[in-house]
Amino acid sequence: MPAPYVLIGNSAAALAAVDGIRRFDRRGRIVLLNREKGPAYSRVALPYFVAGERRLEDLLIRQGPDYQRLGVELMDEATVTAIDAAAKQLRLADGRQVAFGKLLVATGSSCVIPPIRGLETVPRHYLWTLADAQGMKAAAEKARSAVVIGGGFIGMLAAEALRKLDVRLTIVEMAPQLLPQLLDGEGGRLFAQAVAAAGVTLRLGSTVAAVARQGEQIEVSLKGGESIAADMIAVAAGVQPNLSCVAGGACATGKGILVDEHLQTDKADIFAAGDVAEAGDFLSEARAIHAIWPTAVEQGRVAGANMAGKSIAYGGSLGMNVVELFNVTLAELGRFRETAADDVHLLGGSAGGLYRKVVVDGAGYLVGAMYVGDENGVAEMGVIHGMIKRRARWRELADFKLPRFTYATTIHGRGRTVPARAR
Amino acid sequence: MKQIIVHQEKCTACRECEVACSFAHEGVFVPALSRIRVNDFYEEQFYLPMTCVHCADAPCATVCPTVAIEKEADGQILVHEQRCIGCKMCLLACPFGVMGFHPEVGVAQNCDLCRNVAEGPQCVQFCVPQALEYAEVETAAAAKQKIYAATIQQSLLSQH
Repeated sequence: MPAPYVLIGNSAAALAAVDGIRRFDRRGRIVLLNREKGPAYSRVALPYFVAGERRLEDLLIRQGPDYQRLGVELMDEATVTAIDAAAKQLRLADGRQVAFGKLLVATGSSCVIPPIRGLETVPRHYLWTLADAQGMKAAAEKARSAVVIGGGFIGMLAAEALRKLDVRLTIVEMAPQLLPQLLDGEGGRLFAQAVAAAGVTLRLGSTVAAVARQGEQIEVSLKGGESIAADMIAVAAGVQPNLSCVAGGACATGKGILVDEHLQTDKADIFAAGDVAEAGDFLSEARAIHAIWPTAVEQGRVAGANMAGKSIAYGGSLGMNVVELFNVTLAELGRFRETAADDVHLLGGSAGGLYRKVVVDGAGYLVGAMYVGDENGVAEMGVIHGMIKRRARWRELADFKLPRFTYATTIHGRGRTVPARAR
Repeated sequence: MKQIIVHQEKCTACRECEVACSFAHEGVFVPALSRIRVNDFYEEQFYLPMTCVHCADAPCATVCPTVAIEKEADGQILVHEQRCIGCKMCLLACPFGVMGFHPEVGVAQNCDLCRNVAEGPQCVQFCVPQALEYAEVETAAAAKQKIYAATIQQSLLSQH
């Protein structure tokens, strides 16, 4: 029997790779090595679970029978400690060995643990794994106040979930603005207004120096002297690729695992996809890590097909994100922070809290966009997304007459006069 | 698969389709809740109804982080509301701008071809100028091609 396809991971990239393999190879053995336990869940849905809006079973994106149907053997609690590329053999933490024919490293990323004095000595909550979310949910149900360390994407999602549970919040962010990966300065300013209006205390441009127990509470000390006491702390200082299994030099790495246009590493039968892969970037010649769900799925599919013997080139990833936080919808595409060579066009300006911006490179091509407003503007961002992907020029968008509001949107505003439909 | 085919030149922007869609899905006559939308360009007198085209390789389904959007066996792109967390990634991914969002329920919504209505798509039923048609895509595309070819033929012949 030939050695199986082995996929390290059980989330977006690995599951998409299963689909990619099965498109071209219906019978080959596939083994999925899952660091956690049980069928795959959606990390993206975890904040909604913390807030009590989704049940545990709603988070599952695959069920047991799905793995059976796809002919996949799921190995739980299987942490890979070493890869022997020459012998095509993996070693697991519990000593087991697994042989592979083709290997996909889709180990994803994990939370950065920031250098804060005393962090290991206090109860602290991350929002990355299901276990993290369960811990945060349990703590939040008892807490009346919290300090969120980090005002990036995950920090703000944690903050939103905690707010829904009526926890009083302070958010500490190192950068001078919230969501620096999602918003430019002006967008950050508009968003911070909405967050502050919701009663959240913001400490921007601040760094946490130390944390310590103070009775039942935790005292968070900022550089500069201020200290804040709260019932719980949430830590969200960013994520980093999980490279430990290739630390022994199994394949070449940069910030992530370096892969070519076929998502193959420098070793013939080893591929990488998702948050751990440093792969082609749609907008530049360089390689990039876009640690987002859509990129993981796209790369997983391509890697899977190539593992099954096809030769499909990956077109490069484009950053994209959208989220509704504190009743404001935020979206970003590509290079939304302009460089000196770029032109910026504002569509609609920032009146009324609505901010729409398009970035055009020196040659006139659309390369990025950013949006702050209500949910109604996201579909239009989708159209701009399509234009960036097909390398459209700014001229095309400038000439593009956006349809006027229909009488429906005029009369009914955002449709909020409508009775809610029973769920 | 059978789809909603738009004959743009017949559309008068009467918006009956929007009202019919809203009533079929929401039980109220609110065009803002419609899953089909008439785009109007009044100065040019050009009206174009647009709705989900049920892409073969649908970007909305690719990017959905909760597998709430799936292609059914019949080719339809279906949003499973119970699994949708309302993240709007699908709206950001749709190059046609036709993925919608229900403002009250907080979930993505697209044209479901009135799969729960015995008479079929209601926008088509109520389209008086017959700008909408529910037909097999391949047949409709071929018929449309024939019509346009005939138009071009006419204009070329008339030049001689």
